[in-house]
Parts: sequence; C-alpha cells; structure tokens
Amino acid sequence: MKKLLVTALLIVAAVPLLFTAADLPQYGSAENATYTHVSAHYLEHAVEDAGAENIVTDVILNYRGFDTNGEVTVIFTALAAVLAVLLLDRTPATASEKPAQPTQPVSIVVSFIVRLLAPFIALFALYVILNGHATPGGGFQGGTILGALAIALTLVLGEKKAQRLLPEGLKPWLQATAPLTFVVIGLIGLVSVGSYLEFPTVDGNVASAVAAFFSNIGFPAAEGLSWVRAVWLVILEFGIGIGGAAVIASIFWTMEAE
Amino acid sequence: MSQVFDAVLILLLITCALAVIHTKDLLAAAIIFSTYSLVLCIVWQLRGSPDVAMTEAAVGAGVTTVLFLVTVSRTTRREK
Amino acid sequence: MLTALWNNLDYAAPMMLFLIGLYAVIAKDNLIKKFMGLNIMETAVFAFIMALGVVDGGSAPIIDHGAHAPFTNPIPQALILTGIVVALSTTALALSLIIRIYEQCGTIEGNELRELG
Repeated sequence: MKKLLVTALLIVAAVPLLFTAADLPQYGSAENATYTHVSAHYLEHAVEDAGAENIVTDVILNYRGFDTNGEVTVIFTALAAVLAVLLLDRTPATASEKPAQPTQPVSIVVSFIVRLLAPFIALFALYVILNGHATPGGGFQGGTILGALAIALTLVLGEKKAQRLLPEGLKPWLQATAPLTFVVIGLIGLVSVGSYLEFPTVDGNVASAVAAFFSNIGFPAAEGLSWVRAVWLVILEFGIGIGGAAVIASIFWTMEAE
Repeated sequence: MSQVFDAVLILLLITCALAVIHTKDLLAAAIIFSTYSLVLCIVWQLRGSPDVAMTEAAVGAGVTTVLFLVTVSRTTRREK
Repeated sequence: MLTALWNNLDYAAPMMLFLIGLYAVIAKDNLIKKFMGLNIMETAVFAFIMALGVVDGGSAPIIDHGAHAPFTNPIPQALILTGIVVALSTTALALSLIIRIYEQCGTIEGNELRELG
C-alpha cells in the first residue's frame, strides 16, 4: 500500500519535470547560455593563465582552486569520521555475535597475477598523476589507482603484510598530505602576493633559468607555457594524489578490521 | 546513429538502476551497482570528458564496489 | 512536444533516474538499499550537469597540436570531479555507520530498528 502511494506520487512529480526537459534549450547547441559566457573566456585564456594544456586541470587547480581545497578537506574529514565511528568503544561482546563465516584461501592464480602486476600498476598511477596537466589524468585519478592497488594487495597478501605499505610513524602525515599541501601553497601565495592560492610573482631571471634548465635536460617548453607554473601545478597534483591514495587505503583497512 | 547509441546506453542505465532496487540479494545489488557505474563511465567518455570517465571508473567501479562488498560481508546478505 | 522530448532525452533521463533513486530512499526498508538509492540520486545529478555541457561535434578540452574547436565545456567537468569525490566520502561514512548499527542493534531493517528503540 505504501509502495503504491509512493509510486503514484512520484509519477505525478515526473510530469512537470518532463515538460521542463522538453522546454530546455536544445541539447548540444553551441548557443547555450552555459557555453558562451564564462567557458569561452576560460577556453581562450586558460593556457597562459594557468600553465597547463589540459583545461580541466587548469580549471580545478587555478580558476576554481578553492573548490579543490574544500574537496580534499572533505575527504580527509570523511576518514576522520570513519575512524571515529568504527574504532571508538569497541565492546568485544557485541562483536562476537556475528556468526563466524568460513574464509576461503585466495586462489594461486589471482595471487600470482596481482603480485606480478603490482609494480606496473604503481608505475601507471605515477604516470597518470604526473601527466595530469598535458593529457587526461590528474591528481585524484592517479591517487585512486594507487589506493585500489593497496586494496588488491591486502586481499592477496593478508592484512599484516599489506599494512606495511603505510609505515606507522608516517601514517598520519601521509593521510593529511592533501589538505596540508593546499594550505602550505596557499599560504605561500598569501605571504608573497597577498591573496590565498595566488601564484607568487617570479623574477624574470628565475623563470628563464628554470626554462633553460629544462631545455638543457631535453624538455623544451611549448608555446605559451611557463615552466615555473607547470612545476607549481605538479606539486599540487602530487599532494592530492598521495593524500587521496593514503585516505582510500586507510578507509578500507579500518572497515575491514575485526 | 550516435543518437540511437546514446539512447541505448541511457536505457541500460535505467534498467540497471531498476534492477539494483528490485533484487533482494544484497551481494547481487552491489555487483549490479558496479555495472551501473561502468555504463556511466562509458557515457562520460562519449560526452567528451576523459578526466571524469577515468575518475568514475576508478572510484565507482573500484572503490565504491569494494566498500559495498565489505559492508555486505559484515552485515546481512539478504534483504527481508 | 514528443520530438522535443526525444531531442532532449539526455535531460529527461537523469530526471527519471533521480526519481527512481528517490523511490528507493523512501519506500525500501533495508538501510543498504536506501543508501544505494541515495547514490543513484547523486549520479543522476552528475549526469544532468554533464548533459548541460555537451556541444555538438565537440572534442575533449585538451589543447595540443591536433586540437580543433569547438571544445566541450570544461566547467561542468571540474564541478563533477569534486562531486564524485564528495560522493565517495559520504559513501565511506554511511557504510561505516551501517556496520556499527548492525553491531550494536543486530539488524539493519528500518521497521525493526523503529521497534527497538
């Protein structure tokens, strides 16, 4: 009875939504209001303003840097909340009411393949983090791949050996890497220029020295790019990547533990 | 032609969502949820956003499915 | 109106997905099912925002030597990257709360929890 009532109410709610969907501007047209104002400016000026060829990376790390700052704070807060919910006040009486389920050993094929592929997956994750500013990729994508690698190794090697991936003393610092990187870089901008997360003005000599160094080791800069800005972005991406990987692995280990 | 392919993918999304709600076995619901996330990743790639597709594949079909499976293994398996 | 709806199918389908997720949150009793409905609602909102950013014949917004205009709108993609991460955070927290509720109360069905306390 309740389900019929809810279904009827939702069908009544769907009708004005469908009328709205028919009235919205044509899907895919280039005169959409969302396409002509701010996005046109970003598409034209992003490369020289922010220093990366991937415009989405430009937007999330430069034009909308505050949003990314909030995002890394949210995922760190989620880790703190998961630790608070699952690790406080564990009473052994309630924990033993769960019926014991027989565990199956992991098959040899899965174990061998995961251990064979693990260094290549880690290398690919590092490649995705580093190349986030020129090809699709970025900090959080590579960080999630590293976190998923830690989860796969936990399933194969057992918890004790896999938790050595995050050494005990470094663990809180690795988990807090992403928000800490953003705050440090933001404060550098605040101290040197006067606004949080602003790129500090770099001396012309320093900029040309960095460009000369990179073209000497074989990486000539493309048109309109600035090496100093690119290094800035890579530091931020590494912070997000390593922090995201540590948070995802820690959440899994906390939820898995008895 | 690409409009028909788009419509087929969206129909598959709606079918996966209805199947997730309907099944009573929570383990099967978690696996169908992973399929929903995979189809969504393909839709993102067809819309011209490879960054979002990579994130959705890694997060949705990777981490979220594992977390659901851990929860199902530590609580009940069937819904009453 | 039907041809307009067929042309704008990519706007109407996420709205329907949102209502399907809302049905799961309201009408289902099991806490894990409710949470899956919430996740479907979140991904439906992401699909709608992405559909606002599509341009006909657009390519990925990466400027390299083979790139040509028009480009897909980069702003919805940036918003959705943040949204996916926030959805992952709420998933992790909600699932750990469900594990803790099962340990304390022995059940995760809504009607039984209401009778308990």
